[in-house]
Amino acid sequence: MRHRLFIILSFLFVLVPTVLATDQVRVAGSTTVLPIVAEAAKHYRKLHPGLSLTVSGGGSGVGVASIDQGLIEIGMASRDLTTTEKQRLQGKVRQVAIARDAVAVAVSKAVFDAGVTQLSLAQIAAIYRGEIKNWQQLGGPDRRILVIDKEASRGTRHVFAKVVLGSERARAAGATIITGSNNEEQAAIANSDKAIGMLSHAWLNDAVRAVAVGEANEAVLPTFENVANGRYPIQRQLNLLVSEKSSEIGNTFIDFLLSSKGQQLVQQVGYLPVR
Amino acid sequence: MLRFWLTFSALTTALVIATLLGFLLQASWPLLQSQGLSFVTEPEWYPYEALYGLLPVLVGSFWSIVLALLLAVPTGLAAAILCAELLPGRGRAVLRFSMELMAGIPSVVYGLLGLWLLLPLLESQFDLLTGRSLLAAGLLLALMILPTIMVFSETAIRAVVAEQRQTAMLLGLDWPTRLLRVLLPQAWPGIRIAILLALGRAMGETVAVMLVVGSLDRLPQPLYNLLQPAQTLTSRIGREMAEAAVGSVHWAALIASGLTLALVAMALSLLIQRWR
Repeated sequence: MRHRLFIILSFLFVLVPTVLATDQVRVAGSTTVLPIVAEAAKHYRKLHPGLSLTVSGGGSGVGVASIDQGLIEIGMASRDLTTTEKQRLQGKVRQVAIARDAVAVAVSKAVFDAGVTQLSLAQIAAIYRGEIKNWQQLGGPDRRILVIDKEASRGTRHVFAKVVLGSERARAAGATIITGSNNEEQAAIANSDKAIGMLSHAWLNDAVRAVAVGEANEAVLPTFENVANGRYPIQRQLNLLVSEKSSEIGNTFIDFLLSSKGQQLVQQVGYLPVR
Repeated sequence: MLRFWLTFSALTTALVIATLLGFLLQASWPLLQSQGLSFVTEPEWYPYEALYGLLPVLVGSFWSIVLALLLAVPTGLAAAILCAELLPGRGRAVLRFSMELMAGIPSVVYGLLGLWLLLPLLESQFDLLTGRSLLAAGLLLALMILPTIMVFSETAIRAVVAEQRQTAMLLGLDWPTRLLRVLLPQAWPGIRIAILLALGRAMGETVAVMLVVGSLDRLPQPLYNLLQPAQTLTSRIGREMAEAAVGSVHWAALIASGLTLALVAMALSLLIQRWR
């Protein structure tokens, strides 16, 4: 009996480290990029059964910070690296664009249905600066505006603030609440009848509608076409950050994302392919 | 030998706490070095502009905890008295069991309940822009600490020895007098611990608060306005910890928030230990 126990234990001691030693790729960061990588990971795992591939969120700021600290193999960022980050990560990390995306200016269905279907950049900025406080001022219903801002480190906020407020880290004095992931923001807009927020366009749905952005006669919706031809003003690249000394596996995973199959998945989850 | 091990264990505990405080102090040093202690009273938190004021979160934490205790201590104590003294055996078992069940529910579940039930309710009742507010955080925390207060207080009240009750009855004291003069004073050390544990849970709770408080780094206007979105110490740490680069001033400021929380918790627990 004791003999058998001994054998089982030694098996465990041998097996567990072997399992742990299999190739591991950890991916974390932007919740905008996450659906692409999660979908690709599903297919990639079938091709490489022995591989441990984990994907988690946190936001672009988390993606950049974690790759910097060596906690993950691949970081996700829905914005370009800032100048300070570039200096910090020089020679350590490579940035690979895998998709293009529009940051939609999203409003609650009730607001959209009441007639607010187009806003100029100046109007959006006025809302976020706290100068416009009621939908009535924009031709909507007589309701105060629930202005949803995002955590300062989020990629979506960087891109939005840069185009709308003039600087990627501009303050938004008109903000009512702060949310984090795309999920949280989407739920907050959907559960309200007076909200405005910034959201990756892949997260729009029936209860969360995008307004056309621009002056009255030339406003454009965040569609594939308008992103591709550059007419939609708030758009960006979705990036992966790979550590330069990262294993082969990390690189092959990125090659998979850039392959025609990978780019097909990009389109399938709602983003514009780069190739 | 036994004596040695007891001393050793006790010292280890003390050492762990000292190490923890030392670590927090060391990690928040970059902030203390650049700003001194003034960050506690600064009203603006904006890491990208090197502004690290803790005043809004201190006010936020203060109100959410005070509100939670004001609601949960009287109700929890009342439920404990009801359960220990007035209910027959079966009712008592059911009440106590449901409270124990409530204590075991993970905090994120409370947070989601708050998100789906409490926020729309507050929004429509008070005609607010959003239900996310200190009031929502306080109400949710009250619900979360209620079982702790109730279960521990009930145990303390039932632990009052039978002789004391019988003597009081033989003296011809009526029930309110027996409760206020005999039972509660006798059970007070236990009730005090119940409040202390509840306070600890309310102070440390992160996820549930984060979901309903609105996370807006702004002082309430006026300071006692509980109907506005706000931020607490823990909800800020929860939102920003992962993104701050280790060793940066931002990171140090978040650790300093944790240190502040730890110091306040220690001070409060000392105070409650002495409060007889």
